[in-house]
Amino acid sequence: MSETITYLKQQVRKNIQTYAIILAMIVIWILFSFLTEGRYIGAQNISNLFRQMVITSFLAIGMVLVMVTGNIDLSVGKLAGFVSVVVAQFQANIWFHYIPNRELLTTVFSVLIGIAVGTIFEVLQGYLISYLHIPAFIVTLGGQWALNGGIMIITEGKTIPANQPLFSVIAQGYLSPNIGWVFAGVVILFMVFSTLQGRRNKIKYGFKPLPMLIEVLRLIALAALIVIYVAIVNNYNGVQIPVMLLAITAVIMSYVSTNTPVGRYAYAIGGNREAARLSGVNIGKNVFNIFVLMGLMSGISGVVLASYVGYGTIAAGQGYELDAIASTVLGGTSTLGGIGTIFGAIIGSLIIASLTSGLQMMNVPAAWQYVLKGIVLVVAVYADVYLKKNR
Amino acid sequence: MSNDFILDIRNVTKRFPGVVALDDVSIKIKRGEIHGICGENGAGKSTLMMILKGVHPWGSYEGQIFYDDHELKLEDRSIRQASEEGIAIVYQELTLVPNMTVGENVFLGREPRTKTGINWNKLYSDTQKILDKYHLDIDANALVKNLGVGKMQMTEIAKALSENAKILILDEPTSALSEEEIVHLMEILKTLKSHGVTCIYITHKLSELFRITDTVTVLRDGRVITTQPIDKLTEDALISHMVGRKIKERFPKGNRKPGKEILRVEDLRAVDPDDNSREVIKGASFNLREGEILGIAGLMGSGRTELVSTLFGEYGRITSGKIYLDDQEVKIDSANHSMRLGISLVPEDRKKYGLVLIQDIQKNISLANLDKFSKWFKIDFNAEIKKTSEFAEKLEIKAPNLFVACQTLSGGNQQKVVIAKWLMSEPRVLIMDDPTRGIDVGAKYEIYKLMNDLAENGIAIIMISSELEEVIGMSDRIMVMSAGKSRGILEPKDFDQEKIMAMATGY
Repeated sequence: MSETITYLKQQVRKNIQTYAIILAMIVIWILFSFLTEGRYIGAQNISNLFRQMVITSFLAIGMVLVMVTGNIDLSVGKLAGFVSVVVAQFQANIWFHYIPNRELLTTVFSVLIGIAVGTIFEVLQGYLISYLHIPAFIVTLGGQWALNGGIMIITEGKTIPANQPLFSVIAQGYLSPNIGWVFAGVVILFMVFSTLQGRRNKIKYGFKPLPMLIEVLRLIALAALIVIYVAIVNNYNGVQIPVMLLAITAVIMSYVSTNTPVGRYAYAIGGNREAARLSGVNIGKNVFNIFVLMGLMSGISGVVLASYVGYGTIAAGQGYELDAIASTVLGGTSTLGGIGTIFGAIIGSLIIASLTSGLQMMNVPAAWQYVLKGIVLVVAVYADVYLKKNR
Repeated sequence: MSNDFILDIRNVTKRFPGVVALDDVSIKIKRGEIHGICGENGAGKSTLMMILKGVHPWGSYEGQIFYDDHELKLEDRSIRQASEEGIAIVYQELTLVPNMTVGENVFLGREPRTKTGINWNKLYSDTQKILDKYHLDIDANALVKNLGVGKMQMTEIAKALSENAKILILDEPTSALSEEEIVHLMEILKTLKSHGVTCIYITHKLSELFRITDTVTVLRDGRVITTQPIDKLTEDALISHMVGRKIKERFPKGNRKPGKEILRVEDLRAVDPDDNSREVIKGASFNLREGEILGIAGLMGSGRTELVSTLFGEYGRITSGKIYLDDQEVKIDSANHSMRLGISLVPEDRKKYGLVLIQDIQKNISLANLDKFSKWFKIDFNAEIKKTSEFAEKLEIKAPNLFVACQTLSGGNQQKVVIAKWLMSEPRVLIMDDPTRGIDVGAKYEIYKLMNDLAENGIAIIMISSELEEVIGMSDRIMVMSAGKSRGILEPKDFDQEKIMAMATGY
């Protein structure tokens, strides 16, 4: 038992920033719940709030890795926008001519084309940055301008519909309550299974695994969160398909960032580029890989964007890159590289969505929403700096 | 000024959570003397300096410090206040702005003003006055980035003197200097002394204490062990004060038996990869046998670091000459390639090139060896922990566990982490660039022992060193370099400091 408590204390001290930001989020939720007489915490709002954070969250996931390597990507907002108008264009004007009435096929094609466009664009930018050594800031700023032009060329200033019913499901669909519960059950089973597997592996190597009590507590806490979440959203329309996609992507990318050499090298490059280079890490190739992952995320984000709004417009993706950067920074990613987690970025993104949603619900004018969000961002980062210094 | 002592530190104790960094320290420093402070890493030297500079402000420690007959009360973070009091530190890591001139650096933050801007004429003439007064041979208009390390240091000293420093604290001032530059620094310090400036001289290098200081204080584990005039001390006595035990020999005797040739370099020439017109290696030839330690001696700028980085595939662009490994010609194009061939490099300056300081010990050790634990793009954490802890134990890395950030370790332990990283890659040739720079006597001895062990197991070692005694004490043969050329290889019967210096300075 005492072992459990020491372990918990250690964990809290080690991850104090993560806990601080989760705490901040809870405070925001409680505050808005009071200010809106409980409407804020209602099933409908919670459901919408999580849905709203999805598009920037995909970008933030990629941005964490880019920033961890000590780079930045200013083009991703417009890239997602560009992907969304390309997809809309196919939906509205191309499939119709060549493969009419094949909704499943056209939806699959739309998704693949969207992801391919995002990835190819970042392959190009990644090449310029990693192999021709042009600073990322410049390459991606140029990329942003070029994409903005691209969006104008494709849309010709008009709004392009992208509202085939099946395609809309990607960002607007819900799992039926029962399937939602099955999904929750599968996730919980997976967690139990991987925990047990982890313990077995540790024992195989002759290490002492964590006390069973801690593992059980951890599993119960996580399972409770999932059950509560599903119960709430089932009260409205059910588990949101885009949120489910985001959760799966976040878990996979989080795994990539911590459990694979690609991820490990990214952190080493950001932490000390020279030391990584002299340790045989191929800096160019690894930074390139990270930008390709960023492209994959931008592609997904763009597809979800098209599906979410149901059309492609000239303003698509405007400013999303900065929302993504703000999310990562709120989530503890260092602007200097070497530090940052995907989990943190998702929480950061959720905080921004929570703020926006709450302020909207209270009918705060848009202008003041910006002012308040700006202040929160700077204060939150100061709090982080302060915590680090006085630990 | 009746008092003979300019600085009187009385019973100072400084605690950090869990550690007592300084324990009842009392030191008196005479006006105008050069006072040496020595001790192993972690002995409390840095903490003491931080207090004198105001980084740890008055009130955060117990005890009192009297300076010029008044109590020194430096307030929180007011590093400026220490300068105004006349206390200046020349840091181990130089703190100059490379893209500014010497004059601009000297007056940085205190530029003389005209009504509308900076009075450049006054700035440069004042700088020149200081440079002339203390015989500092630098051009006030030179860009700092174009200066050598020695002259950068002089600029730092000039900066301190321009603030009317009464006490100049030099923290490991010679760790990056060549022998020639060290001689020059000693001259400068003597000039300062004749002008009545008091110096506190912190160093690991015992020979320097005997060359320049009047009094020496030895710190160990946060306590003052002794303060004595230098002429009452011997090198052996100093070492035993520092480490608290007798070290019979500074260089452990190995039982090395060099075997067959493994590496041969023939008339290698290479240019700076960023500036192809600049030839950095102008003809280097040597061979290396299994199980031997080949020392490379030479001054800073002699091309020794450039040579080994080029061998490692990470620096120079080779224009002519050949490298043979096991009698097969090899063209090494990257660190990765070099490692696959079995050549590893422990780089100079571990903080800059060796470690990811914000990451933990385990991640640093495994960084160069991740493919050993990865299957299907997945790192097997358990295998990683097991293997890294094996090496950490073998090298006796002292840390609470493998998950502490490397920036919290002492210099010696940091160096062991870098060495562990490279040993895990199972090299046949291990190149070590100044492996004991800036680490204490005890840790040095452990690294020497480790080198012996490795060589006895057949690994061929190339060791660059700035300390002649170290090269002579550890090598089976010594290659001397100057001006980018190898000047010859000495056998043990010719190991002689004067001979090596003559070769290293000859052109």
